[in-house]
Amino acid sequence: MHYLRISDAPIDVGEMYQQLVAPEYGGIDMFVGTVRQWTGKIETTKIEYSAYHPMAEKQLEKIAAPIEQQGGRVVVAHRTGQLVLSDIAVFVGVAAPHRAEAFKWCQYVIDTLKHEVPIWKKEYDTDKIRWGN
Amino acid sequence: MEVKIRLFAFLQDQLGPSITVEVTNPVRIKSLLNQISQQAPQLSSTLANSRLAVNQEFINDEEVILKANDEIAIIPPVSGG
Repeated sequence: MHYLRISDAPIDVGEMYQQLVAPEYGGIDMFVGTVRQWTGKIETTKIEYSAYHPMAEKQLEKIAAPIEQQGGRVVVAHRTGQLVLSDIAVFVGVAAPHRAEAFKWCQYVIDTLKHEVPIWKKEYDTDKIRWGN
Repeated sequence: MEVKIRLFAFLQDQLGPSITVEVTNPVRIKSLLNQISQQAPQLSSTLANSRLAVNQEFINDEEVILKANDEIAIIPPVSGG
């Protein structure tokens, strides 16, 4: 059963990993996205994330459903609120019987999340504030 | 018919959490976004790339029939992850 969460609560990777462990799985692939300081010459100091609840959660469920139907398990946690450098913004983990599906599905979840889930970042850079990318 | 539209991110920063607009069914999504752009030209490029959500589902058609009690939202380009 998938575990999906969008909240202000800090993300504990160990706790997320535990949600993926089960005897039927032989491969667990995890992606952790953190707040990066430099994007080329732009220096970021902090990022504020906001979301459209509960549409964002519904969109995550739509992404997870086909993977779960094929026998995988999906765990996603996304932060909202203010994050500083190196904080974890997003965790995506997929457990599958074998590594090939685990890698493929994990990439699918994070790539699709970036296009289909109503979450936004407000980036505080040293020169100005930027919305989005 | 008047409908309330929820706003997020940059749009919310500029116009507040919601706006009320006058629409006639069927509503062409591009026309609706253009209508708001005319009132707030600084948002035109963001609105041109925005999508409409009704009752928390993206509308992928060009037109939609809106009801007064629908939860309508403009979704600017997302940037999670």
